[in-house]
Amino acid sequence: MNKTTIIMVKNGKKFFFRFSVNQRIQHLILATCVVVLVLTGMPLKFHYTFWAQYLYALFGGIHMAPIIHRMAGIVLILLFVYHIIYLIRTIWRGQIVPLKQKEGLSIVRLIRLLLDQPLMPNFKDLKDIFDLFKYLLFLTSERPQGAQFTWKEKFDYWAPFWGIVIIGASGAIMWGKEIATQWLPGEVINFALIAHSDEALLAALFLFIWHWYNVHFSTSVFPMGTAFLTGYLSEELMIEEHYEYYIEVMKQEGFENEILPPHQGGGNDNIKKKPMEEIHSASELPRIL
Amino acid sequence: MPKAACRFLVTLWGFICLFLICAPSVSFCADIGNCLLCHKYPGLSRVDENGKLRLLYINEAIFNTSMHAKVKCEGCHPDIQKIPHDPAKKVDCLIQCHIVEPSSEQKFSHKDVAEFLKKSVHSPLDADGKPKPFPEDFPDCKKCHDNPLYRPMSFNKMMLPGISVTALGRCRVCHKKDDFIYQFYNHVTTRLRRSRNPKNIAESCARCHDNPILMKRHNLSTKAVYSYGESFHGKAATFLDERIPDCLDCHVNPGESVHQMLGYKNPQSAVSAQNKGRICANAECHPSATPKMAEYKVHAEFNLNQSPVRYYFTVFFIALTGGTLLPLMGIIFLDCLRRLFPNTVLIQRKKKHE
Repeated sequence: MNKTTIIMVKNGKKFFFRFSVNQRIQHLILATCVVVLVLTGMPLKFHYTFWAQYLYALFGGIHMAPIIHRMAGIVLILLFVYHIIYLIRTIWRGQIVPLKQKEGLSIVRLIRLLLDQPLMPNFKDLKDIFDLFKYLLFLTSERPQGAQFTWKEKFDYWAPFWGIVIIGASGAIMWGKEIATQWLPGEVINFALIAHSDEALLAALFLFIWHWYNVHFSTSVFPMGTAFLTGYLSEELMIEEHYEYYIEVMKQEGFENEILPPHQGGGNDNIKKKPMEEIHSASELPRIL
Repeated sequence: MPKAACRFLVTLWGFICLFLICAPSVSFCADIGNCLLCHKYPGLSRVDENGKLRLLYINEAIFNTSMHAKVKCEGCHPDIQKIPHDPAKKVDCLIQCHIVEPSSEQKFSHKDVAEFLKKSVHSPLDADGKPKPFPEDFPDCKKCHDNPLYRPMSFNKMMLPGISVTALGRCRVCHKKDDFIYQFYNHVTTRLRRSRNPKNIAESCARCHDNPILMKRHNLSTKAVYSYGESFHGKAATFLDERIPDCLDCHVNPGESVHQMLGYKNPQSAVSAQNKGRICANAECHPSATPKMAEYKVHAEFNLNQSPVRYYFTVFFIALTGGTLLPLMGIIFLDCLRRLFPNTVLIQRKKKHE
């Protein structure tokens, strides 16, 4: 099995591993499904608007768009199920089995292991949020030093996670209303409609405003972040968002002498020029290149 | 006048008459009284005694595709006997018009419809024949109906809107007059479905049932059509789905006249507690539905009195949406601002190593 290159050096620039091919494909399917679901769902929610008719017509109108919506929903639910299996398998093979062999498995160790997963929210996230507000309110010039996954990314991960459960379950109830109401009262369809529609609006706005701002539209990454395609993040963005993890990885990969100082981000040029001149010694350059 | 000139004029008149008789008719409306002589002019209008502008123009092309195209003008306006005429009286839909109903060979009248309406929830009289409160609010024919247009269907291979030329060809095997063929085809295929699509029907009901003043004084839930519009049925109707159930599909017992609509408290009503399960489980709708499915509230509103649980459930999602997005958008705003002044700090602190 090929070992993943954690730091890839290309044309003198370092790129840090973020997502495997499998994860990128999962993300691409997720993104495609979400866009299709939003485009075929929002005209129904906002059926009274002038644009709804035109947008719906693009997907075949009332006879075809609901079918496309349901197909995309099925793909998304299958992806969710696959992702759960993928998560369990990855944690089992990569962490639980080695732990079992090394120290033996107990409930406490298992819980601790699960809580230590890089995407699990923790107290550092609270501290980072507090530090971010200090930075945004001009109380400090230092950005929070993010870990492997920042609180923003954890939010980006867990929001759709919750969203798929709520939207998927409510969508399934509405689709299979005759089956669902064999056991459940008919009014559950009303609740399913509210949950499906409102949660979908929240998810869409969250993804298209918050997520896209952070990964595509902020001045640091505009016009488009490429980590979701390449799987790697540039050193500049790594320092800006994940400085704590950056130092950890640099040391782990033997680049401790090339660690750059933190910067304010925003696509400023200071990181690109100053540190190369001030920090890198001539002996280190061939290694980078 | 010389004899030759006289003969010429008589012959010319004869030709003109022959031409008028034989010329293919472009219209088949029954304007025997020649009313369109004046009413064909766009802009023909007058201000009535109440100061209301009345448009008197008749678009012949549109009128010809209406269900009343074959009814003579004086069929609905019998008070008009001479031209120019006095202001016409209001049309009474219950009079006998000049159409002969083919099955009974009697002059046609909508009187039977009025009988149905009398027994319905829309009658201004109660079961004892006494006027209900605010009888003027109850609909008469013209509150719901105008002169509906034909909406023919084509059955050639698929159910398509429009006239099937192939089917017309089959009609011509036995019937010779194109006027008759078009009229009959239009009539039959239009009546196989409703003359209005679900959206139009909902809009028609909304004139009263979304009127908060009317609803309040008749102790009815407000915005019945608005709430229908928020259900999948209503949304699909907005997108002009013809298959989707409209007000009449659920509120009228299958096979009965739509004019015989009963109030939901009436045990005979299609939407009474004991019957509505059967309406949902209609073979054309949700055949496998149990009576439980009929507990679905089609007219659900964001209303604390209607359902506190549903109300607070909706409030939870509104709060969740606002509570999630507003802080995040605030962060985005601050982030944009911070990026404009990356090196600005309000409170300078000495660094530890200094």
